[in-house]
Amino acid sequence: MRRWLLPLLAAAITAWGAYQAALLLTPFALMRVAMSKADGLLAVNSFSFGEMATADNQSVVRPSPDLSYSGCVFDVSKGPVLLDITPVPDHYWSISIFDARTDVAAVRSDRDSGGKPARLALLKAGQQAPQGYEPVMLRYDQGVALMRILLANPGEYAAIDAIRRQSTCRQVDAFK
Amino acid sequence: MRSWQRYAICIVLGVVVGAAFAVYQVRSGIADGTITNGAWTTGKSFGTTDADALTRARVAIGGLLALPAKEAMYFTANVDDDGEPLNGRCTYIVSGGKLDGRWWSVTMYEGAGWLVKNAANRWSIPAHATTHHDDGTWSFTVSPDEQPGAWLPTGGVEAFDLTLRLYHPEPGMLAAPGKALLPTIQQQGCA
Repeated sequence: MRRWLLPLLAAAITAWGAYQAALLLTPFALMRVAMSKADGLLAVNSFSFGEMATADNQSVVRPSPDLSYSGCVFDVSKGPVLLDITPVPDHYWSISIFDARTDVAAVRSDRDSGGKPARLALLKAGQQAPQGYEPVMLRYDQGVALMRILLANPGEYAAIDAIRRQSTCRQVDAFK
Repeated sequence: MRSWQRYAICIVLGVVVGAAFAVYQVRSGIADGTITNGAWTTGKSFGTTDADALTRARVAIGGLLALPAKEAMYFTANVDDDGEPLNGRCTYIVSGGKLDGRWWSVTMYEGAGWLVKNAANRWSIPAHATTHHDDGTWSFTVSPDEQPGAWLPTGGVEAFDLTLRLYHPEPGMLAAPGKALLPTIQQQGCA
């Protein structure tokens, strides 16, 4: 039995490591899946304007059928990514920046902007925001920017859709 | 048995046990910082760097791209006020008073978090769509069959959960979600 003591100790250490690794890697893996889905719809660093969530149209778990979602899979490795969000008058809207670990790097809503456009520059270390853009420093090069707009009723969709399509997500040459 | 064989067996066993325990914990909803209020549970660190690894993994699986509490709070109920699992063949009255936030809605999900198919194509009840009462309270009915007033259809699914989204919660709600007045979920009977 003594010959099993050290192997069993190794098993315990390995189990602890596997447990930690599974927890740490899960958010990265699921974010990767979400980004790859969106990437298949549109190029990176460009908004994808999704349809309203229904039982037959669900790209991620727990979507809200009351919100219009628009997503931009971003990659700042080759330069800053600029977000220009057109406000929707008298409606809740927000733009949230999720990094590759699913942490939120920034959220700006109509409450924060006072009804004015939100202009964010997504940056990695060493990059600078162009004038007029609020810098958002990221710990990872990739992630998702998600725009939410609350609809008062489904009949508003066409009008809201026209407004949200004025918002842009684009990469610019690196500002050094 | 040779020494390396004993190590190989134990290390493989360790990997399997460690990964399986992580999956169990994530799926069973066990996490630090979970706040319970009646039938509802929530957390204060969703989407933030303050979240521990278990909470982050749980949110990634059960609610990817969730917002931090300052922007939106998410309360989930998979049981009624008596602690019984929510059943799509039963009828429930969900009722409450003013919720301390800018806007709220209650959405029904099944399984891992998918909207429930139903003939009415209705998956949520926003605040303005509830039935409002003279005493300032509101209510809606969750049921497989059409109901008078505000109705959230279950589609007859075996099990479901409800998520209460509260956008721009007020400071009191943010500080003490466990003490906030949240909606009650009372079963009326089952088919």
